[in-house]
Amino acid sequence: MTNSFVRGLHSRRDALGLGAMSGVGLALAATVLGSGSADAAEVKSHPVRSAGPLRSAGAMAFGPDNVLFVGDISGSAVHAFALRDEDLTPQIRVELGNFHNFEGVDLITGLDVKLAALLGTTYDNIVINDMVVHQPTQQIFLSVERGRGTDVIPAIVKVDHGLLEVLKLNGIPHSKVSVPNEPDEMARLEFEPQRVYAITDVKYHNGEVFVTGISNQRFASTLYRIPYPFTGQKATCTVEIWHPVHGEFETRAPIVRQLIREVRGEPHLFAVYGCTPLVRFPLAALKDGAHVRGDTIGELGYGSNPLDMLTFNNPFDHKDYLLVTIDVRSASQIAVADLETAPPEPTGGPIDFGPGGLGRMQRDLPIRAEHIAILNPRWAVVIWRHPKTAHRLDLGTIMIPYFFDRRFGMSEMNWPDGPDPFEYRQYRNEIDRI
Amino acid sequence: MAELAILDRAEAFGNHPALGIESNLGGEGWCVRARNLAPGFGASPGRRVDSLLRVKVAEAGDRNEEGLPDISGDHEILGDGVRFIPHFPFESGVPFRAILDLRALGQPGLAEIQTLEFSFRRETTAVETEVRQVFPSNDLLPENLLRFYVRFSNPMRRGRAADNIEILGPDGRPAPDVLYRAPVELWDSSMTCLTILLDPGRLKRGVGPNRMLGPPLRVGQRYTLAIGPGMIDVLGRPLREGFTKSFSVSEAVREPVAIDEWTIRPPEKGDRQPLELVFPRQLDWAQLWRGVIVASESGQSISGRIDIDVGETRWRFTPDTPWQEGAYSVRVSPDLEDVCGNTPYGPFDGPIRSADDSAVQAAERSIPFEVKRSERAFG
Repeated sequence: MTNSFVRGLHSRRDALGLGAMSGVGLALAATVLGSGSADAAEVKSHPVRSAGPLRSAGAMAFGPDNVLFVGDISGSAVHAFALRDEDLTPQIRVELGNFHNFEGVDLITGLDVKLAALLGTTYDNIVINDMVVHQPTQQIFLSVERGRGTDVIPAIVKVDHGLLEVLKLNGIPHSKVSVPNEPDEMARLEFEPQRVYAITDVKYHNGEVFVTGISNQRFASTLYRIPYPFTGQKATCTVEIWHPVHGEFETRAPIVRQLIREVRGEPHLFAVYGCTPLVRFPLAALKDGAHVRGDTIGELGYGSNPLDMLTFNNPFDHKDYLLVTIDVRSASQIAVADLETAPPEPTGGPIDFGPGGLGRMQRDLPIRAEHIAILNPRWAVVIWRHPKTAHRLDLGTIMIPYFFDRRFGMSEMNWPDGPDPFEYRQYRNEIDRI
Repeated sequence: MAELAILDRAEAFGNHPALGIESNLGGEGWCVRARNLAPGFGASPGRRVDSLLRVKVAEAGDRNEEGLPDISGDHEILGDGVRFIPHFPFESGVPFRAILDLRALGQPGLAEIQTLEFSFRRETTAVETEVRQVFPSNDLLPENLLRFYVRFSNPMRRGRAADNIEILGPDGRPAPDVLYRAPVELWDSSMTCLTILLDPGRLKRGVGPNRMLGPPLRVGQRYTLAIGPGMIDVLGRPLREGFTKSFSVSEAVREPVAIDEWTIRPPEKGDRQPLELVFPRQLDWAQLWRGVIVASESGQSISGRIDIDVGETRWRFTPDTPWQEGAYSVRVSPDLEDVCGNTPYGPFDGPIRSADDSAVQAAERSIPFEVKRSERAFG
């Protein structure tokens, strides 16, 4: 029976002319016999784009009412997806780690390899652009791209109790606004260069979406203020944001990361520039068509790229802190109160920038996070590269406010019979869960 | 389309369950099809289709596929089988494995597993990719040069610029910390043109990196922009060869773009002679394509061909239709930059202006010119 079956298939394979590798296995006591032959079917494909409104998926932010904003550089747009109840899953009972003992957990190991498998590619063809956490479900959303060229395929992927799932955009109420507000038409001639605005950050505040980015042509510091719900292109405000240097010069630069906070009752924008200054602006000054000069209150330090900028509340002293993760060195932490009161750099005289005019008040935190987001008052989630494996990215938790994990440090206290001054053993069974 | 025909042929061989690839009719791309599963299969919903037909990326040597998710997609139940449609089109050059596990049908005696391994051949061309051009094209560049444009002969993949593009110093060794590592590589939408910035933190006088390390380039020295062959094109291939551009460094330019110093040579009526603008200093190549337009007396933009040459100091415009006699103007964008980021309204980093001055919205500049009847036309 078996033999004739296999023979039959061989004939079909030959007739198909595909050189298809088609294996047949009889399941025996739950073992699976796979195929083992050499040549796979090769079919010519035609390159197609993914369906749906996204052309790329970059910086993200959650707004009110479960709206997910997604920056789309290739599509020259910011999208708003109003997630429905069926698109969200409360992450109840997910284990987060041992807060007292500074022990986080891996939520997903080999994130890049798993995303690649999910999107049908190899791990080196996956780029994770941003990570945001939905409240109150505490569900993690990732903006991911398959491919690094003109064939890029974007996806929003969510984490559900340790499993990855593509967010199906079909059917989710969607709106978008063009950013920049005049997207470049097709180049008139084959060799005419096209302008692209690379969106670096998207933030929602009080009915508006704030968008920062870098142009591939102009060295501009354009910030867009867009009312949400999107009411049409005309509502978009364009502001050029300058910063002073030394009290002597003023200059413009693209903003890489932004944060909006109330300062003494007035909303302010804190912006990190690519050339390192940290600048503060009152939102009221950011009017359409304006060139606004802010206050330089610090510098992040030379040679570094800010990755994420967020605030958190310290569960011990209950104060708010700003955290900026940086690609090549430790993260910087500054009390928000110091940000608010920091004087603009003095004019004339020697300047002590530190790193940063806030240098004395700044703390370095040894976080190696490619992406970080706050999950809840005691835990943050991070995506970091495994130290030993060239390509493995892991998604895990880390406790607030020290962003320190015992697993990654060598300490005598980690040994079973080592000293235990912080009483790790006493607390070792206290596991936080969502 | 040939593939569809093949699947049809399979039916001629009986009604045994079969796996195949077919064109995704009604959509785009390809899907995996399992046919002849069982009589009346489609009439009974609720089959465990997710375990019946699975499609995965085939790892070499089946290394540790446990724990890796299947390819994301939808199952469509058909009359006699099921179709798996991936959420994202199958990628060329990646090996896939479709697994048909007939045990999921729950029928006694039907307990086999079929697999089909397939891949899609990557489109390729024999012509290798190379760097076609770098701007600024001049080999004497100012100390506060802000950016380069690198043009490739084919679309590229992002992610390799930091490791493959560098500035070599006067000693021929890589000069550290001269180029800016942008948070996003600054490609145009065709991904054939890459913008490379020099470190703005070092260019801006008084900003931390400038105080610590000084400007990126030094006057009177010679540098080389080196683009390594490790830049990967969209087909996954490195460049045919690396590319270098050597240049010397002249004094910094910290003045606005001086439109008043431009020379304009109007064309003559009736011809399609080009209008010519000559700039005293090189301007930004990319921005010259849109930053300068020619308008008629009524303000209507005129269509035509632009030529930029002589080290981006000459801009010529040849209209699509012959010039009419009359008044025209050249409109210059207020954002048009030179190679150092200076604009018509101010230098890249200049003295602090009053709040009023800096709040002024910059308007475009206008250079009027006339097209007169040439006397020789009647000669």
